[in-house]
Amino acid sequence: MFQIVCLISKTVWIHFVPIPDRTEPDKRPGTALLRAAGTGSESDRARRAAEEEEEDEARVEMSESGTQLFARLEARRCLKDIEPRLFPDDGGPDHGEVVEVYGPEGTGKTELLYHLLSRCVLPEAAGGLEVDVVFVDTDYSLDMLRLVSILDTRLNKGRTTLKGLSTSPSSAGSDEAALHLCLSRLLVVHCSSSSQLLLTLHFLETTLSSRSSLALLLIDSMSAFYWSDRGEGGASISKQEEKLSKSSELLGRLLRDYRITIFATCHAIRRSNSGPSSSETDRPFLCRPWQRLVTHRLLCSRQEADPDQAGSDRGDGEQRRRRVFRVHCTSSSLSSTGTKGSRTSSFRVTDGGVEFI
Amino acid sequence: MVILREGMCPGLDEDLLRSLRAADIRTVEDLVSSDSEELAQKCSVSYKALFAIRRVLLAQHTAFPVSGADLYEELLSSTAILSTGNPSLDKLLDSGLFTGEITELSGGPGSGKSQVCFGAAVHISHHLKQSVIYIDTTGGLTASRLLQMLRSETTNTDEQMEALQRIRIVRLFDVYALLDCLYGLCGGGLQQASVGGGSVKAVIVDSVSAVIAPLLGGKQSEGMSLMTQVAGVLKTMAKDFSVAALVTNHVTRSGSGDVQPGLGVSWSHVPRTRILLERVETAPSVSRSSLRSATLIKSSRQPCCIKEEFDLRWWSGAAGGASGKRKLDQAGS
Repeated sequence: MFQIVCLISKTVWIHFVPIPDRTEPDKRPGTALLRAAGTGSESDRARRAAEEEEEDEARVEMSESGTQLFARLEARRCLKDIEPRLFPDDGGPDHGEVVEVYGPEGTGKTELLYHLLSRCVLPEAAGGLEVDVVFVDTDYSLDMLRLVSILDTRLNKGRTTLKGLSTSPSSAGSDEAALHLCLSRLLVVHCSSSSQLLLTLHFLETTLSSRSSLALLLIDSMSAFYWSDRGEGGASISKQEEKLSKSSELLGRLLRDYRITIFATCHAIRRSNSGPSSSETDRPFLCRPWQRLVTHRLLCSRQEADPDQAGSDRGDGEQRRRRVFRVHCTSSSLSSTGTKGSRTSSFRVTDGGVEFI
Repeated sequence: MVILREGMCPGLDEDLLRSLRAADIRTVEDLVSSDSEELAQKCSVSYKALFAIRRVLLAQHTAFPVSGADLYEELLSSTAILSTGNPSLDKLLDSGLFTGEITELSGGPGSGKSQVCFGAAVHISHHLKQSVIYIDTTGGLTASRLLQMLRSETTNTDEQMEALQRIRIVRLFDVYALLDCLYGLCGGGLQQASVGGGSVKAVIVDSVSAVIAPLLGGKQSEGMSLMTQVAGVLKTMAKDFSVAALVTNHVTRSGSGDVQPGLGVSWSHVPRTRILLERVETAPSVSRSSLRSATLIKSSRQPCCIKEEFDLRWWSGAAGGASGKRKLDQAGS
């Protein structure tokens, strides 16, 4: 595997030696190759190559090293099986697809993201996928302590099923190490404005191109700057939506070039006046370029507590009455022959995160 | 939006700026999103120079990705849980106010929102020896009430004065003043306030709805934009300086008649933890009752809908039923 990478790397380097200096705009890449080969000592060239490599990362269309090409196209893990219980049969999000998690406050959107996040970063032994994740936190909603407690519970569960019920106290150190390993697969970015989001997404491109194990991008939430953009943009709608549409276009390009999967939450911003299932409140309101990206939509809602359910819980000595959350998934996946599918699933939130029922 | 200015980064001089403007590149976002190669041709500058500028600007203005492991380590060392001093409330909050988060108290007039804020402020300053910033937007705070609460804690006047000194009070009555104050706190005000004694660990805004609610409504989005701005600066402040933010909110009734926190759906995503305070209706002597019930309506740690009852007189050491009287009617504001 490594040899192949080297091989590709070498060959591509020869063909795509980037232009060291472009004082004259009409210089052709071909002449640059000659100049690059003829000038400088070995170390100088190496340094320049390293410099150019960084430039490359941001300019993928033009030139890239084989390692990057390889990372870009081959190695990313497909996340179709990220959570089969959430999507229609065989309809999980493929490479380059976007899932929008939509719902009002307190319907388990962020909790659902934690679930997917921990599924991705956990080791395979504990039922995870071992892929890297970027969490773009625009709402400052990421509760690390909560995430760690979910990871901890799942790691422990994985361990007890493996070793039986005996957990020796000496394994505390390895627990810590396992947790650390999980968390190091996660990258967190906090954004506080829509322009920062746009710039950060540009910046993330470098991260994406250098980490081939990165397969999932989580954005919580996409709608965080909706009102401030509305306020800043003046009267024209296109000006108001400018930054979000630019971000969406960029995301579209990242999806295509790096074949990652995106999960993004979107807050409901209108209160439902006419019952919980009004279509007016669930209408997407973010800009069109974003809507075009979305291939799966998860509608989250809270199921009103079932009286006899609650009663039986109490009968079991269960003091905490747990709420049931419902997710309705509609997907219009392009890869699965354009078929539309839908599925409704319910889950509860427990100490160990989301638990489907 | 960041406007390109001269001297923002090396290489970005007046001439380049002029030619960029001619190419309709005015902000950092424009420069970053545009195709550097094309732009280099258009402005007849060296591609490499332009690329270097782009890289520096990106590095200056993006949020940097932090590894989850590092974030957790940092969080472990910086997070503090501030007890409110009331065991029932602490139980609801999973042992207290967490730094780095926004906690919201909502309730109708006379439900004890301000009293809980006073109590928490006094407890944090006296017992935990940390500074508190109390932003009072309703004029409902009186020092004598704080002193009364402190007297039940200690009889030592020096200690009482010390504790009062650690509570900084800011009075303001509109959203612009609130934003100004919060930005000021982020830009160094928090460090300044912490000079005399412990560092600032809590910022209390009582009430946040009093300044925001008048702006909402109608078809204009100005009010919503200001509200998200307040929310944004509160969140960044809480996170970056690891302080606990405690805000109060009024209540409204939904279409079906349920009591729900005010400020609408967009605000509902802002607080991490929300508590609804209500009066406990007791026998005929309703007006004298200082019993309140608190319901957890949103939390990322505890199951929702747990209910606890507590007595407002807790903080004044059961000094008398009169303590509940000095409450401000905030629903009208």
